[in-house]
Amino acid sequence: MTLLEKIKNIYPSLTDEDFFPIIGTIKLENANDGKGDYIAVWNHPTLAKPTDEELA
Amino acid sequence: MSSIVISGDTSGAITLAAPAVSGTNTATLPAATGTVMVSGNMPAFNAYVGTSYNLAYNVTTKVPFDTKVFDTNTNFSTTNNRFTPTVAGYYLINTFLGISGSGGGQTGSLGLVLNLYKNGTNFSQLGNVIGVSSFPGLNCSILVYANGTTDYFEIWAYSNAGNPSGVPIQNGQTYSSFSATLVRSA
Repeated sequence: MTLLEKIKNIYPSLTDEDFFPIIGTIKLENANDGKGDYIAVWNHPTLAKPTDEELA
Repeated sequence: MSSIVISGDTSGAITLAAPAVSGTNTATLPAATGTVMVSGNMPAFNAYVGTSYNLAYNVTTKVPFDTKVFDTNTNFSTTNNRFTPTVAGYYLINTFLGISGSGGGQTGSLGLVLNLYKNGTNFSQLGNVIGVSSFPGLNCSILVYANGTTDYFEIWAYSNAGNPSGVPIQNGQTYSSFSATLVRSA
């Protein structure tokens, strides 16, 4: 399961638009260094950034 | 006299040499202060995505430019896909990239965004294309300053194609490129 899918499972109200550039408030990145996807920006107005435990 | 040698106060020397061909030519130095640019201190490189790579869905990902066409000053790393120019100045950066329009499982209109990251953070959104039915691609350029020591540049891409598994980048020299050249020293 990807990080995007894990976040959507935690917050089913999130849509793909929440992750879009410019209009979205959440940005996922992958530095292509073997460490996988990570949350680069979390500026959602009501939902808290998931903890590492929630994403594990 | 075929050349003039100017020695430094402590070490080093510069030789100004005339070409060994017939004819008389004039090279006029400008009435300005600055560093003379010659091929040896003008970094230029070109690299492309040589290995098949899947661009993840809805994740901004550093593009793995892993194969060099040329790199005159050894300033581009194919290990971390990063351009770190060692001469301070103004660089023209160009990139083009496309993603596959087939085999990715994508649905609906496709979007692709290319970003220039400087020192690990998004410096400029070079371009975006949205609502394409197949094979979205972008060709972008920007003029940037680099301090010649610590500044480095990378290309990061975002796509909404291929939910949820992503789509392949169109790899190969024909379909992808990251290049830069010094256009003016600091």
